[in-house]
Order: sequence, then C-alpha cells, then structure tokens
Amino acid sequence: MASELRVNTLKDAAGNNSIATSFVAGGSAKAWSNLDGTGTAAVIDSFNISGMTDNGTGDYTNSISSNLSNGNYVITIAYGNQTGSWAAQANGQLKYASTPAAGSYSLTTGNSVNGSLNDFDRIHSAIHGDLA
Amino acid sequence: MTTTPSFKGTHLFDRLCWAKENLDGVQSDIRIVFEDPNDMDAPAKILVPDPNWVSAAENGGVLPPVESYWELAKDEAQPDFVKHTRGYLLHNTEPVGPMTETTGPYGGWVNYLIMKDISPSIWQKWNEGNKPKMVICRKDQLPATREWRNAWKISEELATDHNIAA
Repeated sequence: MASELRVNTLKDAAGNNSIATSFVAGGSAKAWSNLDGTGTAAVIDSFNISGMTDNGTGDYTNSISSNLSNGNYVITIAYGNQTGSWAAQANGQLKYASTPAAGSYSLTTGNSVNGSLNDFDRIHSAIHGDLA
Repeated sequence: MTTTPSFKGTHLFDRLCWAKENLDGVQSDIRIVFEDPNDMDAPAKILVPDPNWVSAAENGGVLPPVESYWELAKDEAQPDFVKHTRGYLLHNTEPVGPMTETTGPYGGWVNYLIMKDISPSIWQKWNEGNKPKMVICRKDQLPATREWRNAWKISEELATDHNIAA
C-alpha cells in the first residue's frame, strides 16, 4: 500500500468522540450490489462481488470475492421497479429455504400480494459481518 | 493499464478496495449459461460477470488463485464447520496476474470465474451427456426479453466453447 496509518482509536480534532478502528472496520459493509433483473440481467455496480447468477424470474445469487467468515452475516435488501402498475406491492427477500454461504447469498423479488416472483430493475443488497 | 501495487500478504478486501478506487469497471457482454444436472426442471441459470471484478481480473495482481476458493469451500462443507480459519489462503497467496477473457492464468478470466462461481459438478462434466450443460456466449445470443424466462434451456443453437477448463 502507498501509505498506512496504524492506530487503534480515532478522535475528532478536539480529542473527543473517540471510536475504535475495530468498530469502524467491523461496522462497515463488506459487500454491496445494485442489480437490474430485467431484460438481460446485469450488475449495475457493486463492491466485493465477482458475479451474479440469474437463476430464473426474480431469483438471483451474488457471489462474493473476499469471503465472509461464515454464513451468519446480515443482508440488507432494497428493491423497486421504476415501471409497472403494481410497484407498490413489490417484495424482496432472502431466497426462501436458502442458506447464505461465506461466499454467496441468494435473493428473490416479487409481488407481495399474489406471491409470484418478478424481475425488478433495481435490486440492492448490502452485507455486514466478519471477513474470513 | 494501471500498475497494481505489490499486494502479496495484503488482505483481499483491501486489494478490492484499491481496485474499486483505482480501476474503471468493465461491463463485459460475456454470459455463462448453465444447467444444474441435479435439478433438471430448473431453468437455465446465467452467470453475469461483475464489472468491478472483471477490471481487477484484467488489471492483474488483485485476485487470489482460484484454488484458494476451492480450499475454503472444502472447509465449509465439513459438518463441524463453524467459521473459516484459513482466510490467509485468500490474502497471503501470490495474486493472479493479468487476464483477458481467454488468455493469461487459467486460460483467461472467463475460466477463472466459472471455476470460482459455478459448481465443479457442472464445469468438470459440462460436455458429458447428450447436450452441453454449460455454454459461454455473448449477451446478444440470449433472448432480449424475459418472456418465458423460467422455461429457458440451453438450446442446440448456442455456440459452444470447447476450451473450457476441466
């Protein structure tokens, strides 16, 4: 690395509001992705993701580059459809009956009213946890 | 091409941070279509390369050997697995050099990605049986709409790449 600061605690200029660097590192998102599930599905932008697998309608798997220590991490999901008459019924979740692994996790998106899976044009996810 | 710092021994996450900050994402039109022989009723799956990962692969010096992922997968498959204790395989091994789609280590980043993100049960036996279970193609070879997406299967018309690593 070009330069490196090795400190255990960060403080503001007045010497107040200290925070441990371990707190910062532990609380940072370890991966995130912004997918478009419509048309020929695509990754719009991301961090720490190697690829996205389109498993079928409204069903996606993100593969992680720098693995987490296990599958016990937290996944935050947001989703939306810029078009479509039923956008207010949109639903997104961890894929039913799937277990996140240290190197991948699966999401589904669909209609919360009738339970069908549907493709959305914005599928956002971020994960927090410990790296391997 | 941007010069990658010497990263051996640097945590892979930090290397990816460097790549995100210094390299422009590359949107590849490569797609890997595959079917799971253990779930014949499932539609064909499509692996989409991540643009930031592609730029790291093409620049070189960031990604670990793909064998590191295989070793971690073996650990995770153990019934008594709790957490990874061999993360150093990602961080302390010599990073892989520059790759194009089809040249460089592993015969290119397409092969590397297949071997990382697709089950070996598929890529090791992709051409056994009466039709290929995996095909490398371009985005425009796939249907442009999602109509009947859950009925998509690998068709005989899709060109096959016989140089896939096995």
